[in-house]
Amino acid sequence: MAHPREGWQGHGVPRKLTRRSFLGRSAGAALALGSVPLLDACASALAGSGTVQLPRPNNPVKWPVFAGNEAIKTGLAPETNATLQVYNWVAYVNQAVVNSFAKKYKCKVQVTTFNTMDEALSKLRSGLQFDVLMGATVDVLGQLIESKLVQPVNHSYIPNITQAWPDFTNPFYDQGWRYTVPYTIYTTGISWRKDLVNENPYTMANPWAMPWQSKYKGRVAILDDYREGISLGLMKNGIYDLNTTDYRQINLARHALEELSSLVNVRIDNNDYTEVPDGDTWIHHAWSGDMAAAASYMPKGVNVDVVGYWFPTDGRGPVANDTNVVLRSATNPVLAHEYLNYFLDLPNVIENISFNGYMQPLTGVTPQVLVKEQILPSSLLSTIVLPSYFRRGVAELQLPVDVDALWQQAWLVVSNGI
Amino acid sequence: MRRQKKNGFFIALAAPGIIWLVLLFIVPFYAVLAIAMGKLNELFESPVAVWNPFAWSSENLIDVWHDIFGSAAFAGPIVVRTIIYVAIASLLCLLIGYPAAYFVARFAGRRKGLFLVLLVAPFWISYMMRMLAWVDLLQTGGYVNKALGWVGISPVNWLGGKPATVVLGLVYGYIPYLILVLYAGLDRIDPALIEAGRDLGLGRIRTFVRVTLPMSRQPILTGLLITVLPMLGDYYTNQLLSGAASTSMIGNLIQGQLGTPGLEGQGAVLSLLLLLVLLVPMIYYVIATNRSSQVAS
Repeated sequence: MAHPREGWQGHGVPRKLTRRSFLGRSAGAALALGSVPLLDACASALAGSGTVQLPRPNNPVKWPVFAGNEAIKTGLAPETNATLQVYNWVAYVNQAVVNSFAKKYKCKVQVTTFNTMDEALSKLRSGLQFDVLMGATVDVLGQLIESKLVQPVNHSYIPNITQAWPDFTNPFYDQGWRYTVPYTIYTTGISWRKDLVNENPYTMANPWAMPWQSKYKGRVAILDDYREGISLGLMKNGIYDLNTTDYRQINLARHALEELSSLVNVRIDNNDYTEVPDGDTWIHHAWSGDMAAAASYMPKGVNVDVVGYWFPTDGRGPVANDTNVVLRSATNPVLAHEYLNYFLDLPNVIENISFNGYMQPLTGVTPQVLVKEQILPSSLLSTIVLPSYFRRGVAELQLPVDVDALWQQAWLVVSNGI
Repeated sequence: MRRQKKNGFFIALAAPGIIWLVLLFIVPFYAVLAIAMGKLNELFESPVAVWNPFAWSSENLIDVWHDIFGSAAFAGPIVVRTIIYVAIASLLCLLIGYPAAYFVARFAGRRKGLFLVLLVAPFWISYMMRMLAWVDLLQTGGYVNKALGWVGISPVNWLGGKPATVVLGLVYGYIPYLILVLYAGLDRIDPALIEAGRDLGLGRIRTFVRVTLPMSRQPILTGLLITVLPMLGDYYTNQLLSGAASTSMIGNLIQGQLGTPGLEGQGAVLSLLLLLVLLVPMIYYVIATNRSSQVAS
């Protein structure tokens, strides 16, 4: 039996366009782009050959519940004398909150970490058993669900979902929150040192082009992430479809980033939260959650006010959220549900953000609360994600396999410098 | 009967080595080969190892070939850059390491032990930690720039993607290996031979050129081999001390491919190609060693 995802094709890319011909055409396409209007990739047309489509805001997906992988029954007591196995990104949860959960439920919690989502998927597929996966990105939900690595959640164990933004009880990527609860939410923008850079992105015509300034050679860095990197190249060129399947647009972004590399010798890393406070990098393509923690990394005698973070004031920029899920291999599924619920309770969430930096989409997490609790300096209020951003922002979502290969190939060329 | 017993003894003696070789070299090597010649899981974009050689696909091999030599090649310049960086770093290692090893072997006297400990000291700290220490030292407000400031030199952006920083990082990281090998070789040179050169009327420099240097050819070759091989595959030095695309080396390309869903197969091919290239100096080394031992006997 064929897998529902088998043979997925994006419509913006010709069927026969392999990553090889993509590279071959790159030079010509880049020149032609000046005169040829770009094709608009149509997200709703991204139908797989199977039963499920790629989730998009205008194409919400209700994932199926597979036979033999139903949610746990209602009314069960949490497992006793248990060790809850949690699988999470490195440094992405406040251990104090984990400890308080363990104390409340009289259990042990073992947190194992991973560095990339790919690594996590690979290990989960190899048979490693955990109860909870924290920080599952939206773009891998299809893989997790269709390969039955995660189990549906029983809503009766997660009453704190009412504390979350209403959007998350029916998100487009998981209608009816069958498998996921929200964890963190963040934007991608530009961070800069106000005392070292003359320009203010808030007054620039195209702030996404801020890194493209030769006078800051050696002082510019972009995020080491193929989706974020290529997306920056797209937005610099005014393209806001960050899931484009149009190889010419991907190519245009690639050439913009290559130009950036030769212009400023751009660094490619995810150290935005240390390099900008240190002053080693003056302009850094950055994640809001990282920059929210900038105060902790300021050198002695330097005020955090010199660090700025820009995200479009109209909310039209990259917005993403991570999710928490219960794994199918869970040996403590009830406790796992309680854990998900615990991380949706305001006091725990505030304590978690105080370590993590990354916001969680709860109605009680407001700019006023974050400043009052001294979690966020007032100069970095722009790192806060508002509910409206989630609706107006652009999300980087799962791509068809062949298109994803084009994105990755373009990034590989950019990140290794020609 | 006795012959059989003797054979059994030698087999038992060789067994740990053979098991080690099979488990830690041949099996992993074949696994990499099976991934390089394997297929792709379309759902997870992960490599699927194909163990049967008759079912192997050459797709990844062709892709890598085009990446290096094709009309849209992007890996070619990275290979050239890597060779240049490693050549400069090796030369610097030799220029710095040889006098140091020579000094310890010939002139350290009773303090030889102390100098040896000092030479080995960097090994007490992991390579990654030593590179991280350099990140601290070289940053804008770091001690290196502060020291330069004392003599009136304005701060240098060492970590802003400078090839010189990467090359010096490679030198710093691998030079202890070279010095130790050189020391071991130079220490074995009979002082009587050098004295004989002097007795025959050669000056200090000519004695060094005509006697010491030819006799240290083998240690130099061994030392360079030990440093060049890991340098060629190194990715961490560049990642930590530069991070810029413009200084990317072949190790970074392989790491990038192995860490990118869907491109692991090509990373495996590139790793195997690197291994094949590295076999050339290895074979040369084995031949040269055999020759010199034949001459010696």
